[in-house]
Amino acid sequence: MPTPSPARVHEFSVVSNIEIADAVFALTIEAPALAAALRPGQFMNFAVPGNAQSLLRIPLSYAAADPAAGTVEIWFAVVGDGTRRLSQMAPYDTSTVLGPGGNGWGVPAGPEACERALLVAGGIGIPPIVALARELSRREIPFDACLGAASANRLVGVPELEALPTCGDVHVCTDDGTAGTKAFCTDPAALLLSNKAYGYAATCGPGVMMKKVASAAAAAGVPCEASLERMMACGFGACNTCNVETVDGMKGACMCGPVFDATKVVVW
Amino acid sequence: MSELKTAVDFGGVKMKNPVNTASGTFGYGWQFSELMDVSRLGAITTKGCAAEPWAGNPAPRMTEVRGGMMNSVGLQNPGVEAFARDSGPWLADLTASGTQVICQVAGHSTEEYVAALELFCELCPWAAGFEINVSCPNLAAGGAACGSTPEGAADVMRACRRVTDRPLFVKMAPVRVPEIARALEDAGADGLTLINSIPGMSIDVRTRRSKLSKPTGGLSGPLCHPIAVRMVWEAAQVVEIPICGVGGIMSGEDAAEFILAGATCVGVGMANLVEPGAAIRILEELEGWARAQGVSDINELVGALEW
Repeated sequence: MPTPSPARVHEFSVVSNIEIADAVFALTIEAPALAAALRPGQFMNFAVPGNAQSLLRIPLSYAAADPAAGTVEIWFAVVGDGTRRLSQMAPYDTSTVLGPGGNGWGVPAGPEACERALLVAGGIGIPPIVALARELSRREIPFDACLGAASANRLVGVPELEALPTCGDVHVCTDDGTAGTKAFCTDPAALLLSNKAYGYAATCGPGVMMKKVASAAAAAGVPCEASLERMMACGFGACNTCNVETVDGMKGACMCGPVFDATKVVVW
Repeated sequence: MSELKTAVDFGGVKMKNPVNTASGTFGYGWQFSELMDVSRLGAITTKGCAAEPWAGNPAPRMTEVRGGMMNSVGLQNPGVEAFARDSGPWLADLTASGTQVICQVAGHSTEEYVAALELFCELCPWAAGFEINVSCPNLAAGGAACGSTPEGAADVMRACRRVTDRPLFVKMAPVRVPEIARALEDAGADGLTLINSIPGMSIDVRTRRSKLSKPTGGLSGPLCHPIAVRMVWEAAQVVEIPICGVGGIMSGEDAAEFILAGATCVGVGMANLVEPGAAIRILEELEGWARAQGVSDINELVGALEW
């Protein structure tokens, strides 16, 4: 039998739920077994209490996990009924979360395996890149980052990355120029990939953005991983809805992803 | 408390209780093995497989709607041989533990259904029965294209009947239910499963595109439940063969409505995706309801609707 998902149902209670950017919340939950099990790039599927019009769980990545404190920090954007109700959860509120789901980033073992990494993320694709950056730092791997957002009030993650010991240059781009450069974050990313030696690149954000990063990385000969988003019902390999078309056929994002070798992705 | 008899006979499949799973919402069973005790269930119905692997439809395959969901998976499957090789040993163990396994059969034509069923019969000796899916709303050919008329559905059923004497069920489309149910009984079906998801549409008005990769998809979930109960009742009025009621069961009461409408067993669907383990909760709630009704055997409640 193929291996079932590592996801389990965990009870959680809310520690805090703070709006850190326009309609972007940082939710910290206490769920010790989950906090200990999560690896960067994995996701979890939230059941949100309330009089629901939408019944399915909400799949979300995470920005930080603290096994010692038993907490997980999730950054999410309010995009619909479920995330709106999630944004209204208050400290001590409880529910269940199903996780960890998916494979996570293939983080290089250390600086001897990867001298320097490049991280490229846009919008609400930034949180799993922040979790990855923490792990790179823990493994003493230097990294540069290119972060993009619609505007300054939607941008997250810059101070968290800059606080990490192995953080190099952080290039910020916004669509309206209210923070950093008025450009797409793929522009500095392509430049960096052609000028600097990287052993690993990782990207998460809109499909068109990741596709550009993937092609620039391929041109530079840099191994690149991308974390893809799909509409997802179960999150543990049962429903076949979160498919990603790859050179090896249709793959479920929940079991074979959400992180894919960027050279294998056919449809972003 | 007196003991409640919960065993039911679904067209020759002896189930220890009436709770089954709806195909497509329970994978091949093992996906749930670490999340719940699957062996508590009366039966499971596995995701449809065809004679050859199918890639299924492009993304997006799912969108959420008020009170339910829509899908356009298109019966992605690895083919019967890979299914039997990879999932067969676990399913055989499940059968040995007392939970029956019904395998769903997919095809684009009568010939393909027959080819798949022949492989199933050869490679899945542990299967208690087979469910012919003539009602998938997400296929250009086969599926609902051949299950939406009494003649089309009966043609497939007759051809499959010639393949095996083992229990054969038909997953019915939510159309022309009394006529098609009668035609399938005449064609030799041992039981009926209804309903499959209801063809629907959901449009992103900003982009003017369907929220699925195809214009239409299959609607499922609790918003379908009253329609499904009505269709089970309609079928139960005109056939003698047993019925598995499927459609938006989220609670024991939802399941009980199907039983009262004439279903011998029920298939839990979308609830599995929201709450792995829901089928066990629903079983316990269903048993509680039967006890409260004062019966000693749950079969006394099948079709016990009063009006």
